[in-house]
Amino acid sequence: MIEIRFHGRGGQGAVVASKLLASALFAEGKSVQSFPSFGVERRGAPVMAFLRIDNHPIKLRTNVYNPDHIIVLDATLVEAVDVTSGLKPKGWIILNSDHSPEEFTGFASFRVATVDATKIAVENHLGSRTHPIVNTAILGAFSKVTGLVSIEAVAQSIREAVPAKTEENARAAVEAYDKTVLPSNDHPTEG
Amino acid sequence: MPRALDYTKESEMPSVPVSLGDMKWSKTGSWRYMRPNYEDKTPPCNQACPAGNDVVRFVMLVEEGKTKSGWLKIKEESPFPGVCGRVCFHPCETQCNRGQYDQPVSIHRLERFVADACAHSRSRNLDRWGDRSERVAIIGSGPAGLSCAYHLALLGYHPEVFEALPVPGGILRVGIPEYRLPEGVLNREISDLETLGVKIRTDTKVDKDFFDGGGQEYQAVFIATGAHESQRLGISGEDGPGVIPGLTFLREVRMIQKVRPGKRVAVVGGGNTALDAARSALRLKSQPVIIYRRSQDEMPAFAGEIEEAMEEGIEIEFLTQPVRVIRENGGVAGLECIRMNLGEVDETGRKRPVPIKGSNFTLDVDGILVAIGEAPDARLLPPDVELDWRSLTLQDVSRAESRGVFFGGDLVSPFRTVAHAIGSGKKGAISVDAFLRGDNPLEVLEMTRIGETGGVSMRKYIDTGYRTLSRHVVNFDELNTAYFKPLSKTDRKCLSASSRIRDFREVNRGLIRREARYEAERCFKCGTCNECENCYVFCPDVSILRNMRKLKHEINYDQCKGCGICFTECPRTAISMEEEQR
Amino acid sequence: MKKVMTGNEAVAQGVKLSRVQVISAYPITPQTTIVEELSEMCADGRLNAKFLKVESEHSAMASIIASCTAGVRSFTATSSQGLVLMHEMLHWAAGARLPVVMVNVNRALGSPWNIGNEQSDSLSQRDTGWIQLYCENNQEVVDTIPQAYRIAETVKLPVMVVLDAFVLSHTAEPTEIPDQERIDEFLPPFKGDFTLTGRRHQSFNPITSPDYYMEFRYKIQKAMDQAKEVARSVDEDYEGLFRRGYGIMEKYNWDGADTVLVTSGAVTSTSRFVADELAKEGKRVGLLKMKMFRPFPTEAIREVLGGTRKVAVLDRGLSFGQSGFFAQEIRSTFCNEDEQPRIFGFVAGLGGRDVTPEDIRQMISYTLENDRPRHDIIWIGLKQ
Repeated sequence: MIEIRFHGRGGQGAVVASKLLASALFAEGKSVQSFPSFGVERRGAPVMAFLRIDNHPIKLRTNVYNPDHIIVLDATLVEAVDVTSGLKPKGWIILNSDHSPEEFTGFASFRVATVDATKIAVENHLGSRTHPIVNTAILGAFSKVTGLVSIEAVAQSIREAVPAKTEENARAAVEAYDKTVLPSNDHPTEG
Repeated sequence: MPRALDYTKESEMPSVPVSLGDMKWSKTGSWRYMRPNYEDKTPPCNQACPAGNDVVRFVMLVEEGKTKSGWLKIKEESPFPGVCGRVCFHPCETQCNRGQYDQPVSIHRLERFVADACAHSRSRNLDRWGDRSERVAIIGSGPAGLSCAYHLALLGYHPEVFEALPVPGGILRVGIPEYRLPEGVLNREISDLETLGVKIRTDTKVDKDFFDGGGQEYQAVFIATGAHESQRLGISGEDGPGVIPGLTFLREVRMIQKVRPGKRVAVVGGGNTALDAARSALRLKSQPVIIYRRSQDEMPAFAGEIEEAMEEGIEIEFLTQPVRVIRENGGVAGLECIRMNLGEVDETGRKRPVPIKGSNFTLDVDGILVAIGEAPDARLLPPDVELDWRSLTLQDVSRAESRGVFFGGDLVSPFRTVAHAIGSGKKGAISVDAFLRGDNPLEVLEMTRIGETGGVSMRKYIDTGYRTLSRHVVNFDELNTAYFKPLSKTDRKCLSASSRIRDFREVNRGLIRREARYEAERCFKCGTCNECENCYVFCPDVSILRNMRKLKHEINYDQCKGCGICFTECPRTAISMEEEQR
Repeated sequence: MKKVMTGNEAVAQGVKLSRVQVISAYPITPQTTIVEELSEMCADGRLNAKFLKVESEHSAMASIIASCTAGVRSFTATSSQGLVLMHEMLHWAAGARLPVVMVNVNRALGSPWNIGNEQSDSLSQRDTGWIQLYCENNQEVVDTIPQAYRIAETVKLPVMVVLDAFVLSHTAEPTEIPDQERIDEFLPPFKGDFTLTGRRHQSFNPITSPDYYMEFRYKIQKAMDQAKEVARSVDEDYEGLFRRGYGIMEKYNWDGADTVLVTSGAVTSTSRFVADELAKEGKRVGLLKMKMFRPFPTEAIREVLGGTRKVAVLDRGLSFGQSGFFAQEIRSTFCNEDEQPRIFGFVAGLGGRDVTPEDIRQMISYTLENDRPRHDIIWIGLKQ
């Protein structure tokens, strides 16, 4: 079983990202379980969402304590929250950032990949310049980095579930897939 | 015979708590010691109307949008809704219970609305009661005489009205200025009356010889010649040109048109005649000044008239009394007056004016209109007539000849109003009919009285079912005002003071349809069931039964426990509670 | 068709499939997304139902009592404070024998404020005359709602379908949406025995004298007894049509176990995970999932647990001054029996506190290691 944790801010769409990814994985035959952090959430506050992936029906219904990978929708959260809490060694940290992975020196025991999801979102007119909607773009990066799900399944999941600017959102995911920056000493996980 | 369901086993009972039978077997009516019943009572407005109008019922019809039915309802009791809707002093509004809540309902404007909306309607649509061959003569075609003739016509007679002047209408035509009562309105209502078969003989003066000679062919006579004899000032210089009785002046204005009472004219008196004379003089480009010996509070004229006169800029010298007419070359050169003080309360309930010695002064006037009261011409009255000032006097002066002679209007009544005259004429008609049928007119009038002290009702006279209508007058404290919401009175609309004094155009405007419906809705319908269904809704025992066909409610006394909730929740006291008689 | 959906979306799908005609609800976390989805379904025509906006849960229940009295299939959903505000009306709906269905999303009660998962809200309504069915996952949620209507309309009692706050309500997982045509076959249109139509003069729920009141209460109890069998057969019918059945309870990993853990709701799922692990470790611990709490399946419990030695009961909620709800009821089931298992009552996971596999292992260890419980309540995860 693989457990993913999303970090975002209230209103950024971390919960939706988790659900979209769950649908994509389900379409490829995986068992999935997607849920938000159970709290009284407010816009702008740091929030989390979770995703379990398995080849068998998932019985475990507890919080996720030791994620295999984390996805961070807003790099400023790295300063505010201990995003790597419980993260398994060698787990991926997928960051929305215009910096290269090497610049994040504090994550020595983990693997870091970055994607400038904000830029991709703005170029695809998703949200506003001040509040870009990056939750679909970051999923493209997840596909690229982990190889757990195909980019086609991610794009299809977006097309089926996102009611507005559907194509722009799907395109953002695909662009992010292509533009994800991996550390120079590492390669994508093979499916 | 319905009976109670009785279950002995659980399995016989329905799964759901629901009634499978009814409770008709349980005659809970036997518990009752107070008994409610629908009983319409007398609203204070109805009692207050000297003409005996059924105010609430016509207002209800207006509310329902049935203006024509409302007009017919008024016409049952009065031939003159258009007249009264304009000139009546509307004591109905003074007594309106709504006045104790916010402001009274504008009843007189509603009456005018109905009359004007039905200007082309005819009384032929009213029920006529029989066809009578007896001949009845009516002396005088003022409001009392015409009212008597109208009601007699409805009772099936063919009355003949004798009028000394060339035109019918009496005081309505020659005493009330056109800016208050346009000629067209009066003509309309008189001609409607003529369509009922009333014959009006104008230019026909009747004197004592009438009774001695040709009048013998009439089995009954109603005399309503009014009060035209202007009282004199009793001061020096009064006799001579330039000093004119107020009523004479008003008659000339109506009949001759080109009248000019003087450049500056003193009008002496504080009644309606004085006000009418002053306002008419103003419209004839004179500059009137009213001289009244007491203060405004004591003025007998209608408050609205005084207010309108003041709006028009008419000067009033209160606490002033004329003492001498100053004459030069035979004409009026001035009026010497004296200032007054109010002293002790006199027998009329008002403070007696007392002259202030040495306060004499002279008013610079060239004409004087005297309007300090009018007396009836008593020459037509037989010497043995006893006048009862409180009501129509009935005196059979010629019993031996089996002839009824009755008197009405200002001739015998101290209440010199159009509404009283109309009521008096109706009393005359009922008395004549009762007399001719061999009944005692006084008893009949008492039976047809509205409320405890009101006028008489034609509806009560011709429809004996109506006589059982409770005489109890509903007062404000008896209403359940929780069901009413404050709604302020529709504003009065009239021509501006500056424009209306240029001619004799009607001053006040009527209500439009929407306003009329609104005013009618404001009416509490005191004592009169309007099918609001509060009783039906509130009865905890479902003992108020609805009769859709007859559009009314009934009480099922088999079940009614006499709890009195219907009585309490009736907003308008149209239900009574009485002790159960078993 | 299978889709990834949350428990609350599954509720809305179940309501839609049941062709509910009147929905009246007041929003409260974590139930809100149920009524959001249903109001949209009503607005865009996917569901041909009247949606009533009301000013409180009390009114929501009162209004579906009215619509159901008028013979119309009716639904509401609530949670926590909303449910307890309805309390008075819950008694009424049952007394009036109205087959309404309500979803309650299990949430803790204040004070202090808490929106987390706990069963005290619904379990404290156990004496209101409502049938209560607890769901383990989102699939069971969507399947239970049409079943609830059939049970309710058969025995003429209201049914409460219960799911866990967030753990199910806001958790998305693959869920099969049953075929509408076959649901229609399973659940015929609602027709009440006595309905307020205006065509007949009848008094509903009138004042009833002591002569008859007791008999009506007896009938409710009889209907409750009947509901156990009805629920079983309704579920069998459903399984015949959809190949998914739940029973009124379910035994798991039972083979030869003389120690059993009793659970309800979503924590059953994690307990299965633990039971699987224990089995691999060679420990024989059975699991009993209780779906039906009212009527309490006394006979079935006696039969199933009668032969065991120790029973651990996991309660997410308690009756203050007594003990966990399920533990109490299971204890009372055996009070007159000659052979009684030892009943261990555990209280865990209040106010949304996570119940982890370690917590469940701790309960099992305690039960295995002790001959009898040292306390009526054994608190798990309490900071002491």
